[in-house]
Amino acid sequence: MFTLGALAFAAPWMLALAITLPVIWWLLRLMPPAPKLVRFPAIRLLLGLKPDEETPRRLPLWLAILRLLLVSLMIAALAQPLLNPAGEIEGGGPLVVVIDDGWGAAPGWRQRQQHIGNLIDKAERAGRSVAIVTTAPPAIDEQPLPRGLMRPADARALIGALKPKPWPTDRAALARTLDAAPYGTDATVVWVSDGLDGPAATALGERLTAIGALQLLLPEGGVAPVALLPPSVQGGELVLRAARPPADQPRRIAVQASDEQGRALARMEMEFAAGESQAQTPFSVPNELRNRVVRLDVERQGGAGSAVLLDERFRRRPVGIVGEPPSETGTPLLNEVYYLDRALAPFAALSVGDIGKLLQEKLAVVLLPDNAAPSTADSDALAQWVAAGGVLVRFAGPRLANAPDDGLIPVRLRAGERALGGAIAWGEPATLAEFSDKSPFAGLAIPQDVRISQQVLAEPNAELSDRTWARLSDGTPLVTAERRGEGWLVLFHSSANTTWNNLPLSGLFVEMLQRLVALSRGVAGGTFDQALRPYRVFDGFGRLGDPPVGVRPILPDQSAKFVPAPATPPGLYGEEGAQQAFNLGDRVGTLAALTGIPGGATLGLIEAQSEIDLVPFVLVAALILLLADMFIALWLRGLLPAATRLRRAPAAMLAIALLGGGLGLSLPTDVRAQSSGAAATPDELYLRATLETRLAYVVTGNNEVDQISRAGLTGLGNVLRQRTSVEPAEPIGVDPESDELRLFPFIYWPVTAEQPSLSRAGIAAVDRFLKQGGIILFDTRDAHLTGGRSGIGSGTRELRRLLAGIEIPPLVAMPKDHVIGKSFYLLSDFPGRWSGGALWLEAGDGRVNDGVSSLVIGGNDWAGAWAINSFGDPMLPVAPGGNNQRELAYRFGVNIVMYALTGNYKDDQVHLPKILERLVR
Amino acid sequence: MAAGAALPALLVAADRVALTVIQGVHGRRRVGQGDSFWQFRRYQPGDATSRIDWRQSAKNRAVFVRETEWEAAASVWLWRDASPSMRWSSADTLPQKAERAELALLALGGLLVNGGERIAQLGTGERPVTGRAVLRRLAATLQIERRHDDADSPSLPRRMALPAYGHVVWFSDFLAPLDEIENLVRYYAGMGVFGHLVQVLDPAEEELPFSGHVRFSGLEGEGTHLIRRVEAVRTAYAQRLTAQREGLARIAASSGWTLHQHRTDHAPQTLLLSLYLAMAQPRLAAAR
Repeated sequence: MFTLGALAFAAPWMLALAITLPVIWWLLRLMPPAPKLVRFPAIRLLLGLKPDEETPRRLPLWLAILRLLLVSLMIAALAQPLLNPAGEIEGGGPLVVVIDDGWGAAPGWRQRQQHIGNLIDKAERAGRSVAIVTTAPPAIDEQPLPRGLMRPADARALIGALKPKPWPTDRAALARTLDAAPYGTDATVVWVSDGLDGPAATALGERLTAIGALQLLLPEGGVAPVALLPPSVQGGELVLRAARPPADQPRRIAVQASDEQGRALARMEMEFAAGESQAQTPFSVPNELRNRVVRLDVERQGGAGSAVLLDERFRRRPVGIVGEPPSETGTPLLNEVYYLDRALAPFAALSVGDIGKLLQEKLAVVLLPDNAAPSTADSDALAQWVAAGGVLVRFAGPRLANAPDDGLIPVRLRAGERALGGAIAWGEPATLAEFSDKSPFAGLAIPQDVRISQQVLAEPNAELSDRTWARLSDGTPLVTAERRGEGWLVLFHSSANTTWNNLPLSGLFVEMLQRLVALSRGVAGGTFDQALRPYRVFDGFGRLGDPPVGVRPILPDQSAKFVPAPATPPGLYGEEGAQQAFNLGDRVGTLAALTGIPGGATLGLIEAQSEIDLVPFVLVAALILLLADMFIALWLRGLLPAATRLRRAPAAMLAIALLGGGLGLSLPTDVRAQSSGAAATPDELYLRATLETRLAYVVTGNNEVDQISRAGLTGLGNVLRQRTSVEPAEPIGVDPESDELRLFPFIYWPVTAEQPSLSRAGIAAVDRFLKQGGIILFDTRDAHLTGGRSGIGSGTRELRRLLAGIEIPPLVAMPKDHVIGKSFYLLSDFPGRWSGGALWLEAGDGRVNDGVSSLVIGGNDWAGAWAINSFGDPMLPVAPGGNNQRELAYRFGVNIVMYALTGNYKDDQVHLPKILERLVR
Repeated sequence: MAAGAALPALLVAADRVALTVIQGVHGRRRVGQGDSFWQFRRYQPGDATSRIDWRQSAKNRAVFVRETEWEAAASVWLWRDASPSMRWSSADTLPQKAERAELALLALGGLLVNGGERIAQLGTGERPVTGRAVLRRLAATLQIERRHDDADSPSLPRRMALPAYGHVVWFSDFLAPLDEIENLVRYYAGMGVFGHLVQVLDPAEEELPFSGHVRFSGLEGEGTHLIRRVEAVRTAYAQRLTAQREGLARIAASSGWTLHQHRTDHAPQTLLLSLYLAMAQPRLAAAR
């Protein structure tokens, strides 16, 4: 190996061939180039002619240099150049690579593979054999890797196929079973570790040192393993935690929450302080989204340890409401269940029923309204359920006021209720005081209009203050709570309907109930009573997949003792729709850092930088030179007739490019300039408008709308030319104030707020135009805002303003069988950019203007649908969309132009069958 | 007939070339036998009384004789060199020598037919006839010959018996050995045939524009010739070419024939004009 900075040659003795270069140079200069071949009719005159002097029989200098370069490149290729040489492997004997392929190796796996690949390359160059040893047990459906010595090429294939496993390494087993015999005692051992310490690390280290010189490679800080733990409840809040092996550097990670389709819903950052191995952050996902979160991932880690699956327990809090479901026909607004149901339905899975039925389900929270007072037996069942971890929320009312103590209240209550305000009371209804910081409601904003007019009062005692979560402004408790066993007992001192207060009508009520539901820890326990089949399991990179054959179901008594292993990889277990998640992060214990092995192992970092073999590049360069040399030789001999033509090609290409550039520059001309320029003089307008049929649009003054109108009529014109005998020229923009409208059969008039109201002359001109049989299509362009109901949009208002003063006959919605629906195409619907807007026509009785309506009014923004750009592509999307809608818009355009040009002609055609029948008769 | 497609194009091109010459040169302007009126002349003793134009004489005191323009048809045999050496051009932009020769041949034929002469292609054995039809036949024959692409097509016309006072026009590069040409010209001149030699050359054949180390190969199996430095032999080549030309001129002059030079990068009209002028010379009539 011969090194020159970043460049090295693996076979440097080949460079000795370079001493032949001068010889080649001399030979090249000596060899004459072959003569040109020329066919010549007058050769008879040339025969026998001998020149006095001869052309020097020399190769041109540049060609000699080119050929010399070619030879140099070939010599360089023979010397096997390398970029970023990896150096040579130290020591002797075979190379034994020990790989930690447990969950901790998933981040930075590519780097590991690169590094090991480089090691194998070096071993290959040194002619050593390689052994691959992995520390994690193989997947249940895979064979353990052969540990014997093998050729480097085989080892490379093995490493390429190796993947990290979604379970921890088992170094103890390896230390026990590793057979050192094949490796001898002078092997070079490289242990590519995952940076995690374990009980058997030392044992394995000693075992490896016995085989040969041990090098321990540790991952860099950025790819050290991080275990993400499932969110847990801490002080009433969900908290997300992560663990890492302790390290000196602080580290910031981001956790992404995603839903079932893999869409990111939230991103939370957390930071490991220097020296810390734990980090946490509030699970700050809005309640509405929390139910949709199915998995959490540490960004840029990509391993089974940094992914957490959330199952039903985390997401949907099953909430029970005791009582009758509110009936449609009764008086739901008096029913307490109605308010609770409305408040919680969006966030929780609700079930309504009596206590016995509810307690059979797995519930996180039970809401107990006042009129559903429990029986004694039910009370006992509820008390047990609360002690096991349930959250019971009671609401006060007349019943509770009369039977203050049934054992299910957090504080002692006085008999009777207290009325604040009302017809015969002195006081005013009370407002709420700010929530204290200790209360789970802390931070909720209190609406000013919430009034409590009746409540039950607690007996004052020492505990009352601690148990109070919400107070009225006079200090009396509104919500009190008591911890009972694992669960909570919560009492609202007022009613769940509006008889005692208006709190249930406010958003605060919803938020308070949400906080209470969040207080619960989900379905109590997470116990189940039947074996769970594997449903989807992780691979080492944290990707969910079908479980491999041989993965065992998890039995009910094993769930707490779940250990990630080949037979039970982490993942989702259970039936479809009812799975339970088993994650890796909370089952690997505390993480410790592997920093070294007692007994003199050298330490190193895993590096991804790989050497680049330059041989192919050099060979390709040599090949290109060889081809070039071939063409040059042909050209020198005059055997390349195309050469003369090629010489002319660049000029032609330049000309084409210049031409194209010129065209491109000339294309974007100002549409408005064209249209206004057209109307510069009346005569010009007359000529332009009458020499060819032209569609016209009214220039509104809103540049955007005018451009769309122009592009729309251009698009419609194209369609007309292609499909009908109407062949309109470029559309013209007209101003009804100054231009002569009578020249046009059809005018498209988009209604905008910018257009000023017409002057008297303008009104007269439009009136004249309409009276003489012209057709104006007014487009209010607001069908998407009015939802198809005409007459309420802002466009309609503007239309009224514009048409004020014009004598408009009564309008009707278009009859079903109107001629517009059959003047060219048979149409029943007239969508533009929007669809569904109604079409309004004159309610003519057929006596005026042959029954042809002069006005067509709609709001579907037809020009928007017709508009095409200079490449013929549509400019604006149509809604709801689809080519079909645009096609229908064009068809409507064709029909209305046909209507403008042919009037009721097609209406007469409808009678043709009858006429034919008469003729036959 | 597939070649028929190319035929009209060649004819049209030939007509176009011929037309420019007709505009520049006018008829024979001599008194002679013919149908068209030429002039009135005073009666002279010896004139046949039947030639007196009585109507004209009645207008005057003198008696006038009506004279017609000389209209005599000569027979012209046309030939062009179809050997491979003629199927060559030094650049894509230039026509092949054979193409130019055919064009000139047809254009000349057109002019002659318009002038009432009878023409035929030398070597086909056909009798000279007049009329546009012979032009079409001529073009078709040329087309067929070109398609056959005879590698052994001769560089000089074969010897054939022609009537005296006939005319021949030969288009060739006349690079054959001079004694062969001289023998042939002597043979025809000996029969009393009057001839015109048209040497059609490519500019490259005149200028030898190549340079450096070149291997030349002939088109008619002459073999190859390697020249190490073409620039050095350019003068010697030019001398040989001039010698060939002078030899040709000498051969033509000795038999009373004319020699015309033409390069394919020059306009064919100039060639046609000089040919036409040469053929319209009074000497021609006198030789008759």
